[in-house]
Amino acid sequence: MPEARQLGQAAAPIGIPTRLWMAALALLIVGGILAAPLLLDTYIVNILIRAFFVAIAAVTVDIVWGYCGTLTFGQSAFFGIGVYALAIIFTEYGFGPWQALLAIATAIVAAAVVAALTGWLSFYPGSSPLYASIVSLVVPIVLVQLVYSGGTFTGSSSGLVGFESFDLELENWFRLAGLSLAAVAVVTLIIMRSDTGRLLKALRDNDERCTYLGVDTSRYRIVVLVLTAIVASLAGFGYAAFGGVAAPENASFTFGTRLIIMVALGGRGTVIGAIVGALSIEVSSAYLSGSLPYVWELIIGIALIAVILAFPDGLVGVIKQLTHGIQPFERGPITRLRPIETAAVKSTDSEIALELKEVGKHFGSLSVLDGVEFVAKRSELLSLVGPNGAGKTTLIRCLSDGRERSTGFVAIAGHAIDRQPPNRIVEFGLGRKFQAASIFEALTVAECLRVARTHRARPSLVSTSIDLELPPAAISVVERSGLLERLDEEARRLSHGLKQALELAMVLSLEPEVLLLDEPTAGLTRAERQAFADILTSLASRDRLCILLVEHDLDFVREISSRIIVLHQGRIALDGSVDAVANSALVREIYTGQQAGDDGKES
Amino acid sequence: MLIVALDAVTTAALLLIISSGLLIVFGVMKIINFAHAAFITVGAYAALVGARLGLPWVLLVPVAFAAGAACGALAEVTIVRRLYQRPLDAILATWGLGIVIGQIVTLIFGREVQFVQAPITGTIELLGVDYSAYRIAMIGAALVVALVFSALLNGTRLGLSTRAVIMNEMLAQGLGVDSARVRLVTFAIGSGLAALSGALITPLSSVDPNMGVPWLISAFMLVMVSGGSLLTLAVSSLVLGGLQVIVSTFVNPILGGLTIAICAAVVLRVRPEGFARA
Repeated sequence: MPEARQLGQAAAPIGIPTRLWMAALALLIVGGILAAPLLLDTYIVNILIRAFFVAIAAVTVDIVWGYCGTLTFGQSAFFGIGVYALAIIFTEYGFGPWQALLAIATAIVAAAVVAALTGWLSFYPGSSPLYASIVSLVVPIVLVQLVYSGGTFTGSSSGLVGFESFDLELENWFRLAGLSLAAVAVVTLIIMRSDTGRLLKALRDNDERCTYLGVDTSRYRIVVLVLTAIVASLAGFGYAAFGGVAAPENASFTFGTRLIIMVALGGRGTVIGAIVGALSIEVSSAYLSGSLPYVWELIIGIALIAVILAFPDGLVGVIKQLTHGIQPFERGPITRLRPIETAAVKSTDSEIALELKEVGKHFGSLSVLDGVEFVAKRSELLSLVGPNGAGKTTLIRCLSDGRERSTGFVAIAGHAIDRQPPNRIVEFGLGRKFQAASIFEALTVAECLRVARTHRARPSLVSTSIDLELPPAAISVVERSGLLERLDEEARRLSHGLKQALELAMVLSLEPEVLLLDEPTAGLTRAERQAFADILTSLASRDRLCILLVEHDLDFVREISSRIIVLHQGRIALDGSVDAVANSALVREIYTGQQAGDDGKES
Repeated sequence: MLIVALDAVTTAALLLIISSGLLIVFGVMKIINFAHAAFITVGAYAALVGARLGLPWVLLVPVAFAAGAACGALAEVTIVRRLYQRPLDAILATWGLGIVIGQIVTLIFGREVQFVQAPITGTIELLGVDYSAYRIAMIGAALVVALVFSALLNGTRLGLSTRAVIMNEMLAQGLGVDSARVRLVTFAIGSGLAALSGALITPLSSVDPNMGVPWLISAFMLVMVSGGSLLTLAVSSLVLGGLQVIVSTFVNPILGGLTIAICAAVVLRVRPEGFARA
């Protein structure tokens, strides 16, 4: 692979200095944290220690919200769990090594259990981000009420004080807290830049597309929530261990919103933003909230509104914008494409790829689909035509999501789909391309394709791979469409036609047996349309895919299909060979009568 | 037993009044107005100021509504308008607005808890038990709010435009509905209703700068569970409000305070469309 070697050499000169620079920066930060308490006065050291622990919680908010897209008010609850695990155990059993271990274990386990429960409530197939936010709001409120009703055990509204705790010098507390924060920041940065981090960004960008790429998005979100909850809980543990106080405010919804404000002001989706936001708000609160309590709150409120309206990327975003010309734009690794061997279709496999019996979809008394029944084999290129409102897209939805249809039976490659969510059906061998190109706008082309391979190649937690292994069908689309030269470009910059091609390549990366395409050629140029036709026919003939195509353009359909089904008012009106259907009186009536209205349909 | 039943109905009435403003904003704009609690506070303080100026009680409620609507209109034009495409950011910005309003109220009136005399005092005898007359009056108030609300929505041109925007905004715009104006008016009315409910609850609770917040979560959850219609909101208020009273009375008041939030979260998990189309 001469091409690949050349690219590798080009990357090398950038790599080493960057690494040296990073190492120097790390040394500087560690040195700074170790030396700082000797230079600063006690008051600010005290404040900074608390601020470091709060900043760790803010980083967890940033992961859940900034990176994964769930606005959460609930991280304060996990922080509070850590605070109270320590305070309650030290108050009840006194201080000692086994008590400390018990307290840490309790903090971890309790946070994980509560987070898992919250995650189960918040994330399920089809849940809305708004709902997840509301649930995250309920968690701290419930926790604080439990603390209030706990009597002397939890200290109720006055909290717990006066328990014996770890006895460390102030300087060492500072070093411990500072290094913990640095460690959390580094680990977060590494994970968020790895392939797993890209996948999380893909979740934030387009949850639906992830689901239809076979990714169990709910599970990922729950795992992220549990892990961040444990980290937040440990931060709370440290906070209480240093402060020697547990107060209901530590777990409150108000503190949860405060954490969000810190991340919003500093810059969501960047670790450094969360830390800068947390430290600056904590430190300035300590100085200002005493002298001008209400005005300080007022300033925070106004700052929040201003940042949301004018600078959604926060302080870090502003600085990035200002220095955009100076800083070299950070480049990801250069991607190399590699074909993989796909399992040849075994002759023992059933010829039937898609089977529908009596499929119906009803809204009350209104039937959108009724008694739809057909069987499609491998290598068939089946076109579904019909006037607007005939139920074509609804049918596609019923095939790809088990919970959509009201009645009937659907099997993909011999697997009954039952009531399974889309990501399970994808595992049976279904690939669905949406009508409007559904990709990950913020990722590069290569990253989009990599996310599509998640079900085969588990993404790494620490590194980004350079090699991108794709099945031949996907590679051929990448090569023929001209995406090959733009692999490391952000997907949002692609033209409409290239976005469509990218989505097709992503779906083909799933190695599907049945391909559902909803008006793939809408808005394409004539040349692009012809290229699409070639790709589709070769997918059907060479790769033996069963393709179900929803299309309006009868000429296009006539040219490439092996069979046509006409859907009319939710029922199958005709099902037969291209000649028989395209020349029938019904099709002519539907199409000459409705053709004029088709242009306005795109939405 | 009868007292519990009366408590349940009057609590449901209060919840309905408080959450109706949130409902209309959520229905039209698909955003959750976190400043709702602050508008409740604005209404309560408007009533307080009015009462100190010696205004008759009949005038206090419309004054509160007007104060809330004015604040709401201002907020829509300056803040909310820019965030329709970013519903999660709208939550944050309205929360920021809530902080700002709360702090301004604190700066003007101080943090102290204040009281407003109820216009209807004493108890009335109902089926053999004495019950707070003002709470009974709240049932009537809830009915009036609900009736006016549906009359506005179903009987006026603005209501027609609003329903069109709720159902299909693009189409409504295409047909010449000024959806920006509909949103402005809706947000103002929603904020006005919040303020009105604030004025109505003042005789029952104390007035302080953060008085709206405890009501906020229950109101959110009811609106989410109701799925967007006034009728289902009334049903959810009755069912969950009733449950809250039962738990508070027979189990423990703190758990009672959590009933609505927990039940609604579970209902939505099991049945994402909530009580709609039930």
